[in-house]
Amino acid sequence: MLAKRIQPMASQAKRLYVELMFQVMGRALQAVSEVDGEVQKEAQALPKGFLFEMMVMPEGAKLIVEHIGGGRFHYHGDSAPRAVDVSIQFKHLTHAFLVLSFQEKTSIAFAHDRMLVDGDVSYAVRMTRVLNRLESFILPKIIAKRAVKEYPENLHLPEKLISAAQIYLKVATHFIQTARA
Amino acid sequence: MSNSYYEFFCPVKVIAGKAALEHIPYELSGLAAKRPMIVTDKGVRAAGLLDPVIAACEESGLEIISIYDDVPPDSSTTVVRDIAAIYRKEKCDSIIAIGGGSAIDTGKAVNILVSEGGDDVAKYTGAGVIKRPLKPFLVVPTTAGTGSEVTSIAVITDEKKGVKLPFTSSYLLPNAAVIDPRMTLTLPPHITAATAMDAMTHAVESFTCMAKNPLSDAYAAAAIKKVSHSLLQVMDNPKDSDGRLELAQASTMAGIAFSNSMVGLVHSLGHATGALCHLPHGLCMSLYLPYVLEYNLETIRGPLGELLLHLEGPEIYAATPASRRAEASISALRKLRDALYKRCQLPRTLKETGKVTEEQLDQIAEMALDDGSIMFNPKEVTLKDARAVLQRAWA
Ligand SMILES: [Fe+2]
Repeated sequence: MLAKRIQPMASQAKRLYVELMFQVMGRALQAVSEVDGEVQKEAQALPKGFLFEMMVMPEGAKLIVEHIGGGRFHYHGDSAPRAVDVSIQFKHLTHAFLVLSFQEKTSIAFAHDRMLVDGDVSYAVRMTRVLNRLESFILPKIIAKRAVKEYPENLHLPEKLISAAQIYLKVATHFIQTARA
Repeated sequence: MSNSYYEFFCPVKVIAGKAALEHIPYELSGLAAKRPMIVTDKGVRAAGLLDPVIAACEESGLEIISIYDDVPPDSSTTVVRDIAAIYRKEKCDSIIAIGGGSAIDTGKAVNILVSEGGDDVAKYTGAGVIKRPLKPFLVVPTTAGTGSEVTSIAVITDEKKGVKLPFTSSYLLPNAAVIDPRMTLTLPPHITAATAMDAMTHAVESFTCMAKNPLSDAYAAAAIKKVSHSLLQVMDNPKDSDGRLELAQASTMAGIAFSNSMVGLVHSLGHATGALCHLPHGLCMSLYLPYVLEYNLETIRGPLGELLLHLEGPEIYAATPASRRAEASISALRKLRDALYKRCQLPRTLKETGKVTEEQLDQIAEMALDDGSIMFNPKEVTLKDARAVLQRAWA
């Protein structure tokens, strides 16, 4: 509680940012799965009705998507209709912020024990690849390079996503600046 | 500011060396255990490896209450349930797992059931489900390779669903790992070679993959030095008990290293090949190691070059220009594989195994991409990349 009084703004900003990024990613996941063949190919191996969650421990922000078949994702916001199949859990808000503000690559965050996987690891691996693909979609190349291990060669941005990316970028850089200060 | 961060954890007491088995009664009494059950397999019993353990206990007045010696190579939830039932019926209070990866994993899973209760171990699958210490548990490895005595994971097959269930919790770690050279003295040559190459791969991948850290590096480097130094000596003189102990310790050290830093693509490919073509794990490791290092080369040039010191010793390390050391490390591993091929025909290519067809490579690549260890490979791997590595490993 003491820490809260000392740094109320920084922590609050991180919390808001993480919540916002989860929403952005959830919507983007759904959008990308409707247009991108690579994402669809990855997602098709998931069972229909498969529920994927990303969350911040202990009871923080959540992102829930469902594979509704045919490689398509549906974004459920932050509440799951039933028990999730795979959950990626950040141990602390700060770790989620590091990853979602692209200061720490997802793969590095796994290597650094920043998050846990609960559920079938092979599905988690698949979802990590989908998230990498997504990050390189919604972010301009320069930031995406920081977020994923390797920037995909065969990335052709659909028009509507490019414009979306620019909006997200503005939000993202703004938050990084204020939260770092 | 550096973003580097790591965790390192290994609370297992290591009891290693001459007459190590004779420490078992003392260790158990320190844990207030009086009625141990041995969990092992038929091979261990047939090799006479139980005799020194039982003798060591009886000489100290500790009676082994029950012995289950029928753990299959691929242990199942049914086996775990049966063993737990015997444990309860005989009122045992501790477990000694003696054997390779399967017996040790079975011991871990039985410990979950007899400590947490119930008949269905599947209920406890996943990460962090077990939240309190289990019954006293000792492990005596009889192969020098898997490192399971120091890992907090067990994999058990659910026969009904036909899936492999992973269990992870730091409470699965044994209270002590007992490493006695007598237990590996009779390993046949091809198993000695394959399991030592598994340990070598654990150490090399630990040292070059994404979660490497200063503590795991120290264990990995020391393990590589021991395997490089002792493996061929033991192959030429299987009764060399000092060499055997070196390999057994290397295996434990490599296990401590990789359980804190994870492994990479060699294991992803190896797990897939093991599942699809039924090849032993250590053999797959030895087979894929150089090809994967070549694939990762530009990402891992620094650490791989450092390993030359431990693979070949200070003279060769000093005589090799820094810019060539990474390649020289790969050559050293290839040289070791050739020497093993000469001594026990340990295959170096998929073709040499005689058990894989070229048509299976696509399927192996696809399955490897779903393996958890691929997340920690230093270089991103696409399906095409995995397929290309497999092609190079073909012949
Ligand atoms: Fe291994």
